[in-house]
Amino acid sequence: MAMRQTPLTCSGHTRPVVDLAFSGITPYGYFLISACKDGKPMLRQGDTGDWIGTFLGHKGAVWGATLNKDATKAATAAADFTAKVWDAVSGDELMTLAHKHIVKTVDFTQDSNYLLTGGQDKLLRIYDLNKPEADPKEISGHTSGIKKALWCSEDKQILSADDKTVRLWDHATMTEVKSLNFNMSVSSMEYIPEGEILVITYGRSIAFHSAVSLDPIKSFEAPATINSASLHPEKEFLVAGGEDFKLYKYDYNSGEELESYKGHFGPIHCVRFSPDGELYASGSEDGTLRLWQTVVGKTYGLWKCVLPEEDSGDLAKPKISFPETAEEELEEIASENSDSIDSSTPEVKA
Amino acid sequence: MQTPPTTTVPVLRLPRGPDGLSRGFAPDGRRAPLKPVVPEIPESQESRESQEQRARATLRERYLRSLLAMVGRQVSFTLHEGVHVTAHFGATDLDVANFYVSQLQTPIGVQAEALLRCSDIVSYTFKP
Repeated sequence: MAMRQTPLTCSGHTRPVVDLAFSGITPYGYFLISACKDGKPMLRQGDTGDWIGTFLGHKGAVWGATLNKDATKAATAAADFTAKVWDAVSGDELMTLAHKHIVKTVDFTQDSNYLLTGGQDKLLRIYDLNKPEADPKEISGHTSGIKKALWCSEDKQILSADDKTVRLWDHATMTEVKSLNFNMSVSSMEYIPEGEILVITYGRSIAFHSAVSLDPIKSFEAPATINSASLHPEKEFLVAGGEDFKLYKYDYNSGEELESYKGHFGPIHCVRFSPDGELYASGSEDGTLRLWQTVVGKTYGLWKCVLPEEDSGDLAKPKISFPETAEEELEEIASENSDSIDSSTPEVKA
Repeated sequence: MQTPPTTTVPVLRLPRGPDGLSRGFAPDGRRAPLKPVVPEIPESQESRESQEQRARATLRERYLRSLLAMVGRQVSFTLHEGVHVTAHFGATDLDVANFYVSQLQTPIGVQAEALLRCSDIVSYTFKP
């Protein structure tokens, strides 16, 4: 029997969620950071959406947020003209990096030694995190505010997007290698290291380019203006969301629209697959993050597949557990849920 | 409201939200750095704290069960400025910031579906 998707809503933000990022897979699972216009980025457990902590310190809307691979550090970009680096275990602020205008994007290198920033001052900056007092290296060339900047090709190159162009830079020489022009505003960019794929969204298009040459691979058109898209790690699916509040899931190979979901009460600003591809997260103007299953009905995280003969009042434990999960923690999770949420409660729009 | 043609995927619980008290990053959380052993807190203080916590948990559970019991029932709400409305209770959101109701009887007519902000509600009552 086909099952309907139950998205998990993560509340807590009080203004639109404009950016989100997952960490890599760590011994403690994987983590999710969300950037919000309320200035208070939050860290959550990636597979459950459970809130872990809020990074307090920015004095303006946070436009970009990222985690390093092992989720030990976080970086945020804000309207208060600073980027900040945080200890993602304790929540403490480690560094404040002053800029000359609103900062929109931040990205760590694989080894977490360098931080790339970009924003309204149209400059790309590279900070050596081991020498925070030193001046950053600057790359100029963009003629409008930078919306997204990413390391690519094993941190040997940099990809950056402003309103109408996407540019590829060589890290060592700090010079532009290639650029792409668009006649519509570029809304988002995602880099997939395995396969060196770049996902770019503009207007209603979701385009895939080689991250090395910027040559186009393929593109799809969605029914509405898309603000963000993400490609599944195994490159079977992609998900996209935008101005019509819906999430769309496509088959990457055929371009066929597989599923679409209503649920958000405002435009979707960001969407990303988890590092294991089992779920994707969406952030919206409505101030919430939602987690969606890639395979609907699969037991994973907080979703539990109940077979018809199973008693729905069971004390259930998640089938997936990470190595560090202590026995007491599993018990705590089980005892918290006296009743599983059954479908006799009034329908909540998925 | 339409009945769904298929069942929705069951969930164990909803994601936990911020506690509203602290910035989080619990010192006893999963990834806490190893710390030297903290001197033990006196026995009586510890048990009072855990008693309080147990009481909080019981009260919270009772409140959540009261919300579940309200589903589908006619509820009378007292709003600010002495306004009274009645409606069929549908659901509340995670933070109990909004009540989703239907057939809301207001002084200016009946609203088929509505969201009542909890900050606007002074009190509510219903008969199970």
